[in-house]
Amino acid sequence: MFIRTDNKITRSQAIVFLTNTVLGAGILTMPRSVSQAMHTPDSWLAILLSGLLILPIVWLMTRLSLYYPGLTVFQYAGRIVGRLPGTVLGLMLVVFCITIAGFEIRILAEVTMFFLLEGTPIWAIILPFIWAGTYLVSGGIQAIARVYQIVFPLTILVLLVSFGVSLRLFDIDNLRPVLGDGLAPVWDGVKASILIFSGCEVVLTIVGFMDQPRYAVRTMLTGIAIPAVLYLLTIIVVVGGMSLNTVITSTWPTLDLVRSFEITGFFIERLEFPLMVIWLMQMFCNFCSFFFQASLGISQLFRLPPQPVIFALVPIIFLTAMAVDKQKELFALGDIIGYMSIGLFVLLTVPLLIIQIIRKRGRRQHE
Amino acid sequence: MSAIIKHIPSWDVWGWTVVALLVPIAFHRLFLKLSGMLAAQPLSYSTPQGSCVHDQPSQAPFSGDYDTDLSDIEKRIGGNSDVSIRPFTMTRIGARAVLILVDGMQNDRLLNLQMMDYLMSEATPDLLTTADQGALKLPFCNLIVTPGADSFAQSVLFGHAGLLIEGLGKGLLVELPDGMNRQMNEPVSEALLRGPRVGFTEVLSENTSLLRRQGFSEQLEMKSYCVGTRLKKDLVVAYIKDIVNPDLLQEVEKRVSRMNIDFASESGYVEQLIEDDVLSPFQQLQNTERPDRVIHALLEGRVAILLDGTPFVLIAPATFSMLLQSPEDYYERWLPSSLLRLMRFGAAFLALMAPAFYISFISFHPGLIPTELAITIIETRQGVPFPSLIEVLILEISIEILREAGIRLPKPIGPAMGIVGGLIIGDAAVQAGIVSPFLVIVVAVTAISSFSIPSYSAGITLRMLRFAGMLFAAFLGIFGTILFFLLLCSHLSKLKSFGVPYLTPATPFRLRDWKDFLIRAPLTTMKRRPAMMKPQDDRRQS
Amino acid sequence: MNSRLRVIAMSLLLPVLLAGCWSSKEIEDLALYAGAALDVGMEDETERVLEAKAAKYPRKKKLTATVQIVPVRTVGGKSSKQGGPPHMPYNNISGTGDSILEIFRQFSIRLDQPIIGHHLKVIVVSAELLKEQPIENVMDFLLRDNDIRPSTMVFVSQGPAKDTLVSEANNSVPAFHIMGMIRNRSRTSKVMAPVTLNNIDGLTYAKKSFALQNLVTANGEVEFSGAGIIKGSSGHWVGTLNQMDAEALTWLRNEGSAGVIKAEVRDEPLTYEIKEMKSKISSKVKGDDIEFDVSIKADGRIIEIWDSAAGAASPFTTEETTAVVQKQIEKIMNAFANKLQKKYQADVAGFGDRFAIEHPALWKKVKDNWDEVFSRSKINFTYDVKISEYGSFVEE
Repeated sequence: MFIRTDNKITRSQAIVFLTNTVLGAGILTMPRSVSQAMHTPDSWLAILLSGLLILPIVWLMTRLSLYYPGLTVFQYAGRIVGRLPGTVLGLMLVVFCITIAGFEIRILAEVTMFFLLEGTPIWAIILPFIWAGTYLVSGGIQAIARVYQIVFPLTILVLLVSFGVSLRLFDIDNLRPVLGDGLAPVWDGVKASILIFSGCEVVLTIVGFMDQPRYAVRTMLTGIAIPAVLYLLTIIVVVGGMSLNTVITSTWPTLDLVRSFEITGFFIERLEFPLMVIWLMQMFCNFCSFFFQASLGISQLFRLPPQPVIFALVPIIFLTAMAVDKQKELFALGDIIGYMSIGLFVLLTVPLLIIQIIRKRGRRQHE
Repeated sequence: MSAIIKHIPSWDVWGWTVVALLVPIAFHRLFLKLSGMLAAQPLSYSTPQGSCVHDQPSQAPFSGDYDTDLSDIEKRIGGNSDVSIRPFTMTRIGARAVLILVDGMQNDRLLNLQMMDYLMSEATPDLLTTADQGALKLPFCNLIVTPGADSFAQSVLFGHAGLLIEGLGKGLLVELPDGMNRQMNEPVSEALLRGPRVGFTEVLSENTSLLRRQGFSEQLEMKSYCVGTRLKKDLVVAYIKDIVNPDLLQEVEKRVSRMNIDFASESGYVEQLIEDDVLSPFQQLQNTERPDRVIHALLEGRVAILLDGTPFVLIAPATFSMLLQSPEDYYERWLPSSLLRLMRFGAAFLALMAPAFYISFISFHPGLIPTELAITIIETRQGVPFPSLIEVLILEISIEILREAGIRLPKPIGPAMGIVGGLIIGDAAVQAGIVSPFLVIVVAVTAISSFSIPSYSAGITLRMLRFAGMLFAAFLGIFGTILFFLLLCSHLSKLKSFGVPYLTPATPFRLRDWKDFLIRAPLTTMKRRPAMMKPQDDRRQS
Repeated sequence: MNSRLRVIAMSLLLPVLLAGCWSSKEIEDLALYAGAALDVGMEDETERVLEAKAAKYPRKKKLTATVQIVPVRTVGGKSSKQGGPPHMPYNNISGTGDSILEIFRQFSIRLDQPIIGHHLKVIVVSAELLKEQPIENVMDFLLRDNDIRPSTMVFVSQGPAKDTLVSEANNSVPAFHIMGMIRNRSRTSKVMAPVTLNNIDGLTYAKKSFALQNLVTANGEVEFSGAGIIKGSSGHWVGTLNQMDAEALTWLRNEGSAGVIKAEVRDEPLTYEIKEMKSKISSKVKGDDIEFDVSIKADGRIIEIWDSAAGAASPFTTEETTAVVQKQIEKIMNAFANKLQKKYQADVAGFGDRFAIEHPALWKKVKDNWDEVFSRSKINFTYDVKISEYGSFVEE
């Protein structure tokens, strides 16, 4: 068939999809939130541990989805636990996605208003962004994956270059003493860093869209390993470049790191410009991913055509983004999202997986 | 509970929510309506394969009787003053015959000496008794038997020499149209430094023969179609039999045969009628005047569409990367070609985004420019009365007008006008205090970058989009520019040309195709054809 | 009818687009300020006259802020080709008040353009101001503002800070001049590594003592001389270190790359050019006492000898020369350590950081009054001075 009418994505597209969904606002705020929880420079250990912890979680979610190849969680949840509980679980996931989408947009608007566009009213920043996202999401998962594949290499390149250049500020002593206060702060740090991996629930959806499900496990693990490595790199460079105390008192530490030096004589003297550019693009991808998941969920759960659902979600997301108006509440919302993510894992993935295994074993016993 | 109430947004937020909902729906409806109105209406039937001259069914078949047929033809085309009807007798057979042709379209000498001479003096009677209308007996290599008076009349008016012989039931066309051909010059719009200096001409048969002369092969196949409902023309679909994907070929043939137009004057008409998305600013078929480009495309598994009367040949499908490739990339070695190609991509990006960046930095984000540059800009912008958007628009529109004017100026003045326009007008504008010198540089760089794009149609696209980018930048600064870029990427990723996603090979990521995308890998490594065309046989080297 | 209504409704929305471009402000309509100076509150001439004319607002006049605006506006665009009197390429404007932001906003009733801090390079605070106000208060606005980049360098000045932003040379902007001087520090170790806003943020949060480069002005010229000490616990300026102490400080913080040690042999100078200077601090705990071992390494060449006896045909051996140089370094280091521990009781050389790395558990106990603990601790220096060559003048 020359013209692909099926809605499938290739392996590399699936990797990029997962990476772009997880890599979001966390890059900017994570060094501060983790350091504030720990008050020691061992935050990189915390990120390393949480990265290792997230791998089996993703693996479990992939295995669950592989029981029903070609179907997303909204479709097979009903099959596992029955129609009504399945719908309830699916709705939980949808509400989660909408919340994250609104939160990400709000963070984006805050950063933009702070650093780039001061006098602009907030709706003028949020609305075009949501509309652009609507345009992309209406194109289906293939179009979305293609845009991700364009943005992803740019993001990685600029991030690595920015970090490479900021190594001039790097001082290994900023990261010492290692484990000066023992392991207890590390555990606090792990708890604080769960937020940055929220979004991995998208695994439950995109495994259904892969065109070669037998590579699903490898693909998904790669897809979550990339953001984990990037986060680790970020926190090492940020805490090493500005010391722990500066990171604690700075609202957007990554940006402050890049703003704290200038490369005189180079074409782009102020490196925060490319970093902001790719961060904006990355947030766009992030937002579209959650938008897509939410609209997919509603249209699959209630058997509605996708286009009207997309339109209907626009005002809902806008309201979600505008609901919070203080910065402290915004970051509190971020923490809540982290807990919601854990809660979803506990309430959604684990029961579904257990029930699925029980049913399978039960069926096998019957044969 | 009170916490929830505290979070309920105020009235103006609700107002904006309503706007948030309505605007995408409005745009969506608008696009659907426009697409519906602008979509090509295919014919309800498809024209069968076969050129206009033969293989077309006829509505008015010959009766077989000489006088009836002759008077029928005279009624159809006898009223034209440039049609000459020359009746004569074939002395040996004793039958009447008439030669009908249009003045100026035939070589009279040939007709006189050979054809008339033969027919009048040497044709033997058994000519009339053969079943195949004398096709075997007549010494004409280009003999076509027409079934009906309408196709006979059309062909004669097209330039064939028509022969009606008493006793042979059908009309015969004995000579091909001749005369008014142009030499094969180097194509004006696609000049190269290294490469064959031939271009297509307006005669279809010459173009097809140019293609065939590229190399010995029995796999190059050409099928013709007769397009146009009122003024018919020949259109040839060319492909390489054992490489092209049969589904692609079928799709192209389907669309071509169902074109609903009364007269397809240029391949641009064909392109606009068979493309996928009318509203997209990007072209979905490539057009070229160079036979080497066409042959390369055919060898990749693409399909070429040649139309009689135009030297521009269409190639389907087209993707984004093809807009920025030039055949010269393959004729030079890989290292300079790769660097040149990278530079071209950079130039295309600049041509699209440079004014938008200028507006964002000057009006919105002075903190992102290096300090010394900022101070210089402030000093030079003193006294410029316009905000940066107006300034950029003034200069950009002037350059566009200059460019349009430059195309129509006679040859000696054209290039001079370009230089005059560029330097002097820009300088004068700076002296007059209308624009700042920094802007002149930006606009000059943009204009030059857009000239480096090898395909003229792609250049037009980028020029258009540049203005859209400027508007976005004027609204929301660098945020607007990024949104514009993302919208463009979204549009490109949704766009398909004959089933091939437009952004291939950037995405879906096929490593194999990247050898020919941003760089040009050495020829020895390009062992297989691009996977995006899904060819049947994909090995270039064995 | 319906479709026409729709068209009308949609076209009514179009003018909304005209309201756009909220944050758009052309760059030539902005006043960039490249340098800021903070002084004790004292109005200048203009302000006094204005106040006499009853143009005032309630304030306690805690500080004076001066900003250096570049470039200077010329009316009508191009600067005149024929000379007029050469004017300064910058413009200083001062205001007195209580809060820096309020003072900056007051400028908007005197200037015709808003001032923006994207290109602020240099902040100079006067020692007098820091005697009265803790540094956190003074720096607070500068740290919070979104325009001002965290890479802005902070200095302390001996006299009024606004004098450092004035220069006699015609074509240089003082703020850029100071910034360029910092770049020159590769030649000498008497200039500290610049302290940026980023550093101050962390240091004040942890209440650590630190030193800021000191600026001294004379006749319209600015010189880097020594450093001012800011005590962590109070945030006030407590005293200066002279140039030799600044050298020792740079050495101990491993921030120096080159320098000069001048020793004296029989009252004549013997100059040692340092090519490489390193130091390593390690800490030891003995019961309740803390001891620091500092190893100082220097590698360089003798570049200038005035004493004729130590000249080409001299019996002065390498060991003796090395001993002379080492003695000089010892003098510098001991004087510095003395000042830090006895006179100012502030640890600005990073001893606390080393201690925190090597004994983290103990650090937690002592970090709150580290300055006192530090003054009680013992510092042992060991030296390793190498003379690798004598230039192109050969010694036997």
